[in-house]
Amino acid sequence: MNGRGGAFKFFLFLLLAIMAGCDSSSPGDDSNEMILYANLPTKIRGLDTGDIGDVYSAMIAGQFFECLYQYDYLKRPYEVIPHVAEGMPQISKDGLTYIIKIKKGVYFADDKCFLGGKGRELKSSDFVFAWKRIANIKYFSKNWWVFDGKIVGLDEFREYSKNCKSAADVDYSREVEGLQTPDDYTLVIRLKKAWPQIVYLLAHQPTAPIAKEAVVYYGKDIVNHPVGTGPFKLKVWHRGSYIEMVRNPNYREEFYPSKGEPGDAEGGYLDDVGKRIPMVDRLFFVLIEEDQPRWLQFLRGKIDAASIPKDNYGQAIDVSRDLTPEMKKLNIHLKTFKNPDTFWIGFNMEDDVLGKNKALRKAISYAIDREKYIKVFWNNRDDIAYGFIPPVMKAYNPEISKLGIGYDLEKARHLLKEAETIHGGKLPTLTFSMGGADTLARQIGQFYQRSFKDLGLDIEVAYMDWPTFQDKVKTKSVQMFSLGWVADYPDTESFLQLFYSKNVSPGTNNFNYSNPEFDELYERVAVMPDSPQRTELYRKAELMVIEDCPAAFINHRVAYILHHDWCMNYKPHIFQYGLAKYRRIDMKKRAAYKELLKKVK
Amino acid sequence: MTTYIIRRLLYTIPIVLGVLLLTFVLFTVVGGDVSIEIAGKNATPETIEEIREEYGLNKPLFLSWDSQFINHFKSALTFDFGRARDRELVVDKIKRGVWPSLALTVPMFFGVLIISVSLALVVAFVRGSAWDVFAVVVCVAGMSIPYLSFILLGQYFFAYKLGLFPIFFSPDLSMAEYVALPVLIGIVTGLGANVRFYRTVMLDEIRSDYVRTAFAKGLDARRVLFKHVLKNAMIPIITRVVLAIPFLFLGSLLLERFFGIPGLGYLMIEAIGSRDYFVINAMTYISAILFVIFNVITDICYGLVDPRISFD
Repeated sequence: MNGRGGAFKFFLFLLLAIMAGCDSSSPGDDSNEMILYANLPTKIRGLDTGDIGDVYSAMIAGQFFECLYQYDYLKRPYEVIPHVAEGMPQISKDGLTYIIKIKKGVYFADDKCFLGGKGRELKSSDFVFAWKRIANIKYFSKNWWVFDGKIVGLDEFREYSKNCKSAADVDYSREVEGLQTPDDYTLVIRLKKAWPQIVYLLAHQPTAPIAKEAVVYYGKDIVNHPVGTGPFKLKVWHRGSYIEMVRNPNYREEFYPSKGEPGDAEGGYLDDVGKRIPMVDRLFFVLIEEDQPRWLQFLRGKIDAASIPKDNYGQAIDVSRDLTPEMKKLNIHLKTFKNPDTFWIGFNMEDDVLGKNKALRKAISYAIDREKYIKVFWNNRDDIAYGFIPPVMKAYNPEISKLGIGYDLEKARHLLKEAETIHGGKLPTLTFSMGGADTLARQIGQFYQRSFKDLGLDIEVAYMDWPTFQDKVKTKSVQMFSLGWVADYPDTESFLQLFYSKNVSPGTNNFNYSNPEFDELYERVAVMPDSPQRTELYRKAELMVIEDCPAAFINHRVAYILHHDWCMNYKPHIFQYGLAKYRRIDMKKRAAYKELLKKVK
Repeated sequence: MTTYIIRRLLYTIPIVLGVLLLTFVLFTVVGGDVSIEIAGKNATPETIEEIREEYGLNKPLFLSWDSQFINHFKSALTFDFGRARDRELVVDKIKRGVWPSLALTVPMFFGVLIISVSLALVVAFVRGSAWDVFAVVVCVAGMSIPYLSFILLGQYFFAYKLGLFPIFFSPDLSMAEYVALPVLIGIVTGLGANVRFYRTVMLDEIRSDYVRTAFAKGLDARRVLFKHVLKNAMIPIITRVVLAIPFLFLGSLLLERFFGIPGLGYLMIEAIGSRDYFVINAMTYISAILFVIFNVITDICYGLVDPRISFD
């Protein structure tokens, strides 16, 4: 082959290779398999439910693991119903003993950790093992707060584990008085004191059962090998790219709920009543960290549902906060709802500079123009957070905007002077950690940097990926950090426990905040049943935290979710873990979208 | 020539040892104890010790057969880089990422090379004309526009609006499909700087006496340019081209991130974002080794294309 001919052939090859790339396929074209395409906005930390404490990991793990209880998919207000439990618990008269029957015929997904690779039946002892594992202090679980001081003998088990050399040396056969398994299908829980939220917690992912075989077989690598009883099993986890799940063939007979709330029938949420779930065969969660490709993939129909990036808000939503004609032509649906969440800038109270300087923390909090932040980054969608209780919670204080901390630069400057006096000179540059390195995270980092510069304070922003950020927060290795909390259950106690001193990192109290007065109030209120008096105490606790300022509360999110019309049963649900089993894909509508898109474009 | 190649390969042994020493010093001695970074500021001594034990950081640095350096040496030579911070084997990550990266960078590399050398020859031939000025302006403009703009424009216009390409990686697409647009963008963005460089090289050659003689003898322009000028311009071309090859394995950081291509560029960004020293160490070592190997290949190529260079 001479040079010229070779070059020509190479060009031809290159052209063909590129043309081969021209996109002629549409999701669902190739087979009748029902596939759901979802987006992951960030990498996930791991799939070991015992140590999951972030929403992204929980969203994925929720497809593999099941708890004793779950929230009804359709009913509102949210109602707890049995999941792998046979029924609701039998509670003793003193409210301290719970007897829970477990469904028969619930099997773990097949995995090589089991004898012959065949998943075995779920036993009550799997719960006891999972909970003891969280109690094991050498395991460094983020979720000890769930059980701390609640079950007879479990705190003693934790004390015992302190003396073991490593997590693997802990003897799990050691008895815990408050966790008994009279047979394989019965679990008896004895409490030390009243625990009004117990049923909510038994629907919360960290309480999901774990097979001991999986822990023994995979050791520390169990973070990459979820073995649960859920409707799906992991097929591929390409970290940094995508997660593929397939239907778990061992999944028992479960059916789509038959009752909802008024309007559900009109909304099409009752079309699949009585159908066996899961309905989809395969799930793809593709990691797309940047806004533009995520948005374009959604419009192209390659993702079934998506949130709206700030730069595309005007394209999707009009001035009346409804869908634009362009979106309506594409048969896109909008779901909006207030999330039970609060986002903040947290201060590590064990940090030498911040921990001892309340004036500095308050100066930082007063220096943030929350209104501008919400306008710039969230298109005025969100609510300003003056405290940590979200507006959707019953205990939300309507007077909080007057009692909490808002933007006041003058006051912030005055407080900064006071802070410098306390520090004994000019304050050093502070480090602000962000759990993301994408464009939006960098813009938010720059916004805060600028806000604090205006105050007269230098900060350095450290951008890192989500799992690294989570690890750093867990190990108290951050100074200031951007984070939030989404309620795990419909009780404000879910937020209060974030400030309880016994829950400091690796627990959920990432601020490492400690106030004996708050602790005393928390211990009192945590055992109270719902009442106006309890609501008042919740509000009192919130004001106590605002005064100590372990965090600058910023916003409460209002979700704007778009989904294509082929994505059925897409009812907003604030406890959004493991909901893929209810979804159905209308394959005809999805196949027709390509033509519709051409017509609209 | 065989003796020369063997000699050059033998020279690489101390260089590889030097690379190993340098990466070890950089990541272990200068970088400090990674166990504290992994365990966090407030970890208990037991936790730190457990991590040190797992990664072999409790062993002596140099003076032992079981020292950290010897283990680093062994693991590098056997390409056993241990586990990343997310507990996956580093070598598995690299193996998985190398093909998507090569699928992206190899066509980009050849596309840019062939188009830019050909264009440079033509532009050099018509030097001083309006076409030459136009080409220079276009090249400078291409070099001045940020890379990201090409990506965003390509994604929006060619992929979304025209529907010619996929917008982003999707597990149901073939590799050829999801690298197509990034390859095209990579070629377009690479042309500016390369055409400018090769044009300068070609201009130096075109002004030579032998070119004038060739034209005087009545040879046609195509023969003069592609046979004589191109052959004589091979030394700077080889230097630029062969030394660029090792970087093909590293993929393209921006393209891989914005198109979700699960290659080594993305892996490197991830490793930096997650402070994963084990992955960064492995990638640094592999790049250094490839650089050394391709340096040797460059030297061999010099001898092949230029008769003035002797292998003795």
